[in-house]
Amino acid sequence: MSAQKTAKEDKHRELKLSMEVFFSNKSAVAGLVIFLFYFFDAIILQFFPQVMPFKHPYSLTPNYVNPIPLPPSKKFPFGTTYPGVNLLTAIIKSIRLDFWLSLAVVVPGAFLGVIIGIVATYFGGLVDEVLMRITDIVFSIPYLVLAIAIGYVLGRTLDSMMIALILVWWPLYARYARSVTLEVKEITFIEAARAAGSSKMKIMFRHILPNSLPPVFVQMSLDLGTIMLTISALAFIGFLPAANLPELGYLTSLGYNYVETAPWAMIIPGMFIVLFALAVNLMGDGFRDVIDPRRRSAL
Amino acid sequence: MMENRKHDSSPIVKIENLHLHYYTRRGIYKALNGVNLEIRRGEVLGVAGESGCGKSTLGRAIMGIIPRNAAIVEGKILVDGVDYLKPLREYFKKAKKFKPTKNQDLLKKVNEEMSKIRGQKISMVFQEPMTTLNPLLTVGYQISEVLFYHNPGLLASRRLARARATKEDTKNIVKILKEEGEGERLRQYLKNRNIMGLEDQIISIWRRKELHDLKKEQMILELCCEPISSMARGYLEQIEKTNSLPKFSKLPIVGRIVKRELLKEAFKKSAEFLGLLGIPDPDKVVYMYPHELSGGQRQRIVITTAMINNPNLVILDEPTSALDVTIQAQILELVKELKEKINSTYMFISHDLSVLSEVSDRIAIMYAGQVVEVGPKSAIFNSPKHPYTQMLMEAIPTIEAHELKGIKGEVPDMRNPPKGCMFYPRCPYAMPICKEKRPPLFKVGEDHYVACYLYGGEKK
Amino acid sequence: MIIAARKLTKYFEIKGVKNAFIRAVDDVDIEIKEGEIVGLVGESGSGKSTLGRLLIRLIDPTSGEILYNIPDDELEEYDIALENNDEKAAKKIADKYSITRLKGEDLRRFRRNVGIVFQDPYSSLDPRWKIEDIIAEPIIETKAMKPEEAKKRVEELLDEVELPREFKNRFPHELSGGQRQRVALARGIATFPKLVILDEPTSALDVSVQAEILELLRSLRKKYNMAMLFITHNISVVSYMSDRIFVMYAGKIMEKGYKNDVIKDPQHPYTIALISAVPQIKRTMQRIILKGDPPNLLNLPKGCRFHPRCPVALPVCGWTANELKPTLEFLIETKYFTEFPNVSIEIKGERELIVNNADPEKLRQVVNAEKENARVLLSIKEIASNGNSSIIRLHEYKTPKLYKLSNSREVYCLLFDPTIKERFKQP
Repeated sequence: MSAQKTAKEDKHRELKLSMEVFFSNKSAVAGLVIFLFYFFDAIILQFFPQVMPFKHPYSLTPNYVNPIPLPPSKKFPFGTTYPGVNLLTAIIKSIRLDFWLSLAVVVPGAFLGVIIGIVATYFGGLVDEVLMRITDIVFSIPYLVLAIAIGYVLGRTLDSMMIALILVWWPLYARYARSVTLEVKEITFIEAARAAGSSKMKIMFRHILPNSLPPVFVQMSLDLGTIMLTISALAFIGFLPAANLPELGYLTSLGYNYVETAPWAMIIPGMFIVLFALAVNLMGDGFRDVIDPRRRSAL
Repeated sequence: MMENRKHDSSPIVKIENLHLHYYTRRGIYKALNGVNLEIRRGEVLGVAGESGCGKSTLGRAIMGIIPRNAAIVEGKILVDGVDYLKPLREYFKKAKKFKPTKNQDLLKKVNEEMSKIRGQKISMVFQEPMTTLNPLLTVGYQISEVLFYHNPGLLASRRLARARATKEDTKNIVKILKEEGEGERLRQYLKNRNIMGLEDQIISIWRRKELHDLKKEQMILELCCEPISSMARGYLEQIEKTNSLPKFSKLPIVGRIVKRELLKEAFKKSAEFLGLLGIPDPDKVVYMYPHELSGGQRQRIVITTAMINNPNLVILDEPTSALDVTIQAQILELVKELKEKINSTYMFISHDLSVLSEVSDRIAIMYAGQVVEVGPKSAIFNSPKHPYTQMLMEAIPTIEAHELKGIKGEVPDMRNPPKGCMFYPRCPYAMPICKEKRPPLFKVGEDHYVACYLYGGEKK
Repeated sequence: MIIAARKLTKYFEIKGVKNAFIRAVDDVDIEIKEGEIVGLVGESGSGKSTLGRLLIRLIDPTSGEILYNIPDDELEEYDIALENNDEKAAKKIADKYSITRLKGEDLRRFRRNVGIVFQDPYSSLDPRWKIEDIIAEPIIETKAMKPEEAKKRVEELLDEVELPREFKNRFPHELSGGQRQRVALARGIATFPKLVILDEPTSALDVSVQAEILELLRSLRKKYNMAMLFITHNISVVSYMSDRIFVMYAGKIMEKGYKNDVIKDPQHPYTIALISAVPQIKRTMQRIILKGDPPNLLNLPKGCRFHPRCPVALPVCGWTANELKPTLEFLIETKYFTEFPNVSIEIKGERELIVNNADPEKLRQVVNAEKENARVLLSIKEIASNGNSSIIRLHEYKTPKLYKLSNSREVYCLLFDPTIKERFKQP
């Protein structure tokens, strides 16, 4: 490293290097492109619905006059599904809901999980034991059962579904964060910080947390897809609060009854679920490359 | 000692002006910049240098184990006269832009070629014994595998010899051993009786010091008449003749029998060899897993694995650096013993000059991807010529107190190395020419070469 | 004494296994004077790093006392009190100087007086912190200075460790190994500590860099009169750096004394072997190759921990029937198999073995013949006959302690026990 370079330039170079690593992974770039499509769909519909030519951007528009699914045509590029819903617009609307729902589950789930995981590792001993056993117990509850139970108590609303999912998702992060922080905790600089007189809190939040977050972020990006799959699955089995709610799983279930006569009605929305899961997985792999020091230096 | 080993005067490895560069995202890392070195038959060549000087890269390049982003820019490595890395060099010359994926394809071919000699003609010992050994397999199996794939003929002939030998034979062998020891007559007898496979088994028993002579006799007498199924026998004979493995998948049931016989034999040979290296309880050790052994024992196993096929060249890459001093002393002793017992050539890579002084005949000092000084051990230590070597010697702490002097400055950035002599920025004797041109190796004494303009070339 | 430890012990528990301890440091006494460099030499697993961390309370001891900044006369009083088992007097002194019970703010204040430098400069610096923050951390955390002053101090420290001041805005990964270790050193001395623990500070560095760091350490000691505990496996480095040397093996101090005494005239067999094992360019002494490996700290040998590897072990150094059995079995099965058909060996307690179907006289002959090759055979006290079999009884072992050779020199070896010396005269 030459001595003249300032730290700022160096940071810039690191960023450039990270980009380079990410963009050299072609499938990750493909994942990013697909992800961006979903992302902008969600952003536009959520914040600027007026730019889209939809009368009802947050619900499906059924056409009971002609409810039977129609095959793809010029008017309906993806065809229609029961009851006469234009699949293209329906999917565009659904992506918004699914995207925000997944994010709403991942972010608080990860936040809760990381806090619990870090507290457990740093204090160790009994605290660790108790927190991790609680995590194990929650982990062992099947999410469907919990979702049904919560739905029964709080009513079948979107919120209760989200709460159920957050409740089952945080243990995953708690465990993952714990394994990452355990690793970080063993690195000598933590011991050095203790020798310097730093308090436990400071060590936790200024040393362990910043060094544990990157792998957790990668895990989060990977999980977005899984959660969308889960939400769709719940919707598919009829776990949605209201009819006509634009949701990919629900759309799939609408087409389910016509699978023999109108396969597109089920396959097309199903594909969009899978596509998203695939995209975030590829993208997550790309991020993992970025934080892997070996990948950074090799070609 | 050197003189009488120089029967075959051609060096086993000759490295000519080797330039090896790693293409990385952070730039081109110029690991080797014109290495000239030869490894002569029967010697122990010590290669010393600080971290990042390219000594490990050099060892790996000889073995052909280089990553896909390593470009052979120029120069060659001749292993027994064969230039294995030629396709890579030609690719680099032709290619406008170096592509690791293309390089990898060629590397695969090089690897295919080299795997024929790896483990057999040349082998390598790495620094970390734990990562070299597979934790899920017994150490005996790991040694046996090497034998099994590279030397099945030996195993077959050992097994067959025990089947062919009669009681009468073993009795005669004992008689010969008692009369003349393990000499020509024994070999002649074994040859005549077509039981050459017995030779190393007999010798490994006969040489054991802790056994009673009677016990040895008894053990040798037991080396006979071991029955073998007639089906397996045919295949073993074929393997003995060709010294290559048949496709086991093509002979479903017999294949298993043959394979088992060979592996069993390999375990026996491994235990014998471990015993020869002075490892206590070799018969038990072969059935142990790596985690059951201590670091020193593991390193011995790794060395055994490298040595078992009697390779012509063994590259030891920092074999003692991860070990404690008392264990290091054991391993150094082992290397010295191997040098006596097995006629082979060694390349001993270490960052510790004092370790090299214990084992090597000749020493090469590397700095920033170049050999800056090479010569006989005594010359290097008694009259080091290169400023770097001199300063390095002054930096080594010894038990006898002497003032230590570090070398000011940093190793050059290998992505952007100086144009002239690599040591120029840190050298107290630097001259204008040093900045301009890289010095070649000048002869300064009997077999002693230095890359420094203080000793030749155009003065000032 | 800047720091003195008495009967310092650290056992690490093994999770999930009852009564299994790794005895990393076992009943160790050590003291460091003001401004003195003490070298602590030992192989991996000898507990030397644990001892260093114990002294500055990075880990808490299982038992024992660590006394900080204690005047020599009071330490003497304390030692006398310990010897006389006068708990009251000992406690009185310990309460005054002990750091083993410090907590919270007091511990933080103590941290101001000690520093530590670790072996690996790559893992000991937080990759996400700037050099400035890394060096300032102990100053700010121990409240040694105000944050603004700390900034100035960081610049001074960078000068002190001969790094350019611009480095304060860099991140660790932009520095070379030697530069990083200088940063770690600057952090270690940031609060003007009276004692710095140097845990293998040069082991991960190249020799040319090592020499510079050692030189820097020496000049810092001179300038600030800091006491240093130099922990290393490399006895040559210690002989260059330190005033006094402690040699450690399997959690115990084997020998201590002034540098020149220990290096030039080592007394403990382990020290002798250790010094002779160091590879040297111009070898002057005969090399002694120790057999075997350092012991497992979970299951230490009885008596002296070094006896299984000791080339001059005495009959009473700690041999047990468990150690004798394999040797006897080996001899009977190989070299002497003709003389002992159908022999089996049974262990009857720690110091007794029964050899079935063996003639005691023959056994005695074997033992006498093989004594020189296997020192464990020396431990046989008598071989008695019992019908068809022989009973082998071993000597009772004695655990050594540190025997004083002179005022500054102590050796943990039975060879220096006057009573033992008389019983087993060495040729």
